[in-house]
Amino acid sequence: MTEATAARATGARLAAPALSRARLTWLLVVPLLVFLTVFFVIPVGLLFATSLNPQTIGQVTVTSDLTLDNYLRFFSRSNYLLATGRSVALGAIVAAVTLVVAYPMAFVIAKTAHPGRNTALLILVLAAMQLDMVIRLYGMMVILGDEGLVNQMLRGIGLIGAESSVQLMYNFLGVVLGLVQFALPFMILTLVGVIRGIDPSLEEAARSLGASRRRAFFRVTLPMSLPGILSGSLLVFALSISSYIVPALMGGFRVGVLPIHIFQQVAEGARFQFGATIAVILFLLSAGAVAIYLRVGARASGGRA
Amino acid sequence: MTERAIPWPMMALAVVGFAYMLLPIFVVVLAGLTAGEFLTFPPEGLSLRWVAAFLQSEKYLSAFFFSFRLALMTMVVATILGTAAALFLARSNVVGKAALRAFFLSPVVLPGVVVGFALFAFFIYSGMGLSRTIWGLWIGHILYSTPYVIGTVGAALAAYDDSLEEAARSLGASPWRAFRKVTLPNISQGIQAGSIFAFIVSFGQFEVSLFLSAPNAEPLPIAMYNSLRYQFDPSAAAAGIFAITLVIASVLLTNRLVNIRRLLGRQQGQ
Repeated sequence: MTEATAARATGARLAAPALSRARLTWLLVVPLLVFLTVFFVIPVGLLFATSLNPQTIGQVTVTSDLTLDNYLRFFSRSNYLLATGRSVALGAIVAAVTLVVAYPMAFVIAKTAHPGRNTALLILVLAAMQLDMVIRLYGMMVILGDEGLVNQMLRGIGLIGAESSVQLMYNFLGVVLGLVQFALPFMILTLVGVIRGIDPSLEEAARSLGASRRRAFFRVTLPMSLPGILSGSLLVFALSISSYIVPALMGGFRVGVLPIHIFQQVAEGARFQFGATIAVILFLLSAGAVAIYLRVGARASGGRA
Repeated sequence: MTERAIPWPMMALAVVGFAYMLLPIFVVVLAGLTAGEFLTFPPEGLSLRWVAAFLQSEKYLSAFFFSFRLALMTMVVATILGTAAALFLARSNVVGKAALRAFFLSPVVLPGVVVGFALFAFFIYSGMGLSRTIWGLWIGHILYSTPYVIGTVGAALAAYDDSLEEAARSLGASPWRAFRKVTLPNISQGIQAGSIFAFIVSFGQFEVSLFLSAPNAEPLPIAMYNSLRYQFDPSAAAAGIFAITLVIASVLLTNRLVNIRRLLGRQQGQ
């Protein structure tokens, strides 16, 4: 009886601060909500609206004159359909190549038990990720260009003639190589967490039942990393199709993907409405991949918990 | 360790992967320090002539300081907005918190060119006079830097026991005092690490700057891109050396402040 009274009294005392605390907590999120509404939601919303206005060169303002003309134009021109296909294919290829390159790196990081070495490897990945992409592409261009280090070496050992060169960039291959460089750290960081989360005793159990080390890896560890592989690939896909700088520098504007078309329409042609249409299509493609990524991530962590 | 030792084919592939990831960065450093007109293999020798050229070039040096200033401005706002939002996400039980969190983090993975274009058109349309100024770039950079603060401070808050602040409150401390005296000291290293991230993300930002920059408001990545389109200028590589040093210093500093292994481990668990 006395206990219950005491509990009720404590509850009443806690309720008052809890109420004001909830209100204070809401105040914390108001600045960011306002900022994102004004400078993210509204501008992107206006972009959607602009894409529904008839094409008027040089005009930026949104009007109430709605039409689907820009979308009809987009989907009836092979030029833009090809660019969409190229962007999607590029994203898929880059995701696959990045996965193959990143998996062994993530595996080694995840299995390095020594704390100092493990931190050192993670610092390398994080530094590469944070470094300005233009600087990394400068390095890629010095290595892969017609007069670059690879071609100089091939000439030096006599594999190709003194005047000839292997075309490693200013084409689709160059864009793939550049995007893999861009996406590697994101894929590695996604995979490290998943590989580390796999219980090592499962692989040990497979081995003690007579499976070879290879077989144990391909039958146990690799399948168990599938959630990470899927979410990492979706993330890399979304990042790759969005990149302007990599196709611009590594493709030399010869690989016409969606971001390149957007810039050309707007900055060179002042065609805001049609540029907005391509931008909306790219935005939706990217947001779609991110939405699936979030669902996969939620299911993966939900399963673990 | 013997049973879990890394098989050699895996190790060999990982070495190739690390070479692919790091070689271009190494090459930029060499290109900035080469004695010749451009980098050859084998290199012609080392000199500081391009570093000197960068330090005397109007174009790159002013772009470097422009980026530095922009990154500092971005860091201040992103740290405040991001820390407050991370506190909210850690403490509120509102329905749809996961969706709100995804919304806050979403700018990072959405196309920067599209968001930059949307802001550019919005600035013209609304007559705010922000297009092609440092203020417009500032807003774009805050969008892309704040999520990193939310992630880093969120990790610090997850490792911190919320009941400490409640204890201070129940002993009569005002909400602000309890926060400042109890919670803030416990998460301050996470906030510092988050602000370093915000700085570096802004300093290297290219995509969102593309539509928002102008010849008199030109961050370093844009200036380097404009020159790279036409020629290999080794003084751009020398500028790169300074940027690389800045990034490595920041990541090392971050590692002193927070445990990088735990920080990255937690973000995967999200």
